Amino acid sequence: MSIKYVPKELPIDDNVNVTRRHPLKNFIYLLGTVVIISIIIFVLLGYTASWLATRIGADNEIRVGKLLYNTISETEVIDDRRIYYLDELLHDMLDVDEIARLPLTIHLLDTEIVNAAIMPGGHVLINTGLLQKVKSENELAFILSHELGHFQHQDPLKSLGRSLVVVSALAAVGIGTSSSSGGLSDIVSWTGELTILHYSRNQETKADEYGLARVINHYGHGGHSLDFFNGFQKFEDGERQLSQVSQYFASHPENQERIDYLNTLAVQKGWNMEGELTSLPDWIHCPDMDEEQCEAEN
Amino acid sequence: MENILQISLVLFLLILGYFFGSYREKRHFRNLQLREKQVLNMPIANIGRNLPADITETKLVVGIVVISIDYFKKISAMLRNLVGGRITVYESLLDRSRREAILRMQEEAMEWGASQVLNVRLETVAIGGRFGGKTDPGSIEVIAYGTGIK
Repeated sequence: MSIKYVPKELPIDDNVNVTRRHPLKNFIYLLGTVVIISIIIFVLLGYTASWLATRIGADNEIRVGKLLYNTISETEVIDDRRIYYLDELLHDMLDVDEIARLPLTIHLLDTEIVNAAIMPGGHVLINTGLLQKVKSENELAFILSHELGHFQHQDPLKSLGRSLVVVSALAAVGIGTSSSSGGLSDIVSWTGELTILHYSRNQETKADEYGLARVINHYGHGGHSLDFFNGFQKFEDGERQLSQVSQYFASHPENQERIDYLNTLAVQKGWNMEGELTSLPDWIHCPDMDEEQCEAEN
Repeated sequence: MENILQISLVLFLLILGYFFGSYREKRHFRNLQLREKQVLNMPIANIGRNLPADITETKLVVGIVVISIDYFKKISAMLRNLVGGRITVYESLLDRSRREAILRMQEEAMEWGASQVLNVRLETVAIGGRFGGKTDPGSIEVIAYGTGIK
């Protein structure tokens, strides 16, 4: 038996094994779908998580706060007069009939990084780097009441809930935690981060409003309280070495925007934004131990 | 800052992968078209029984090819993994590999002076990285082999 062989050329444009679809179109379609679905999932999960997180109860919040605080690696300054000063200032910022949700604890951390933060359970973290930079009590009062605002609005709990959910969701899909998925984890987690960032900007604005209201309440005016950000703005424009600082402020609304917004708010509410500067104690930059050395330096 | 760096690295790799990848792919397809014409008269079949009675000589002929995927294809495929469906960017890769491997086998057979190649088989294997290795882009290997007869 023999089979006749007829040579046949493959037609150029009709290859059944290759789908004729432009790779770029295909890519854009896929990227769009994944990004949109990720945003929807992150937003939904985020809201659910923050809603749940604010319902864990005071005892649990204290427990979680303790756990989280233990993960901080910076050395804490203990038994220093600056702590008592900050503690007093912080509690002074509360409105007359306002009670902090949980007892507040000030932790002074010995690091150059200019930062202040609040953790679940009422842990207020102040870096010595921040104390080096502030020029008046008004500035410090605004920063402290801003953090207090976050705490009273339960923001630390909400973001904790959100990050827990996002991390678990990423782990469940098998990305984000391992190095095995390359660029994929990046695309999904960037979407997640951006979603979170937007959310926390909203929280920042709320905390700013709270902060300024308390400052006005305490001093009777908002003068000098925003100087820190004015000064910071100048730094940001000029010196690049302050990149460490911008890291902290990355999730905060742009500083100029932020100042403008607060000034408009003050006009609307009829708040006085001019007033006397309340100076800081002389020893605000100095640890108890090296008082002489410190005074010599200044 | 770190994120910006990461994003630009991924974008850079994507663009590099897309332009180099599609340039090479187009060139390869053109090349395949040309060479396939030259072996058009070399019959191949994947049956091995009822051999012609006048065979004087046989030889095992083999064609192997390994083609690497590029970053663009890799990311496209990963995204596709999330939503399901046909990974079209890999289809062209597999088609190129298959045709190239068969061509090489036919070219070997022609050089040896075969009149046809029978009992042709195709095997494929993924080398390295497989699906989603971070450092290893992954690649596909296709082996075509058959019995050349004179």
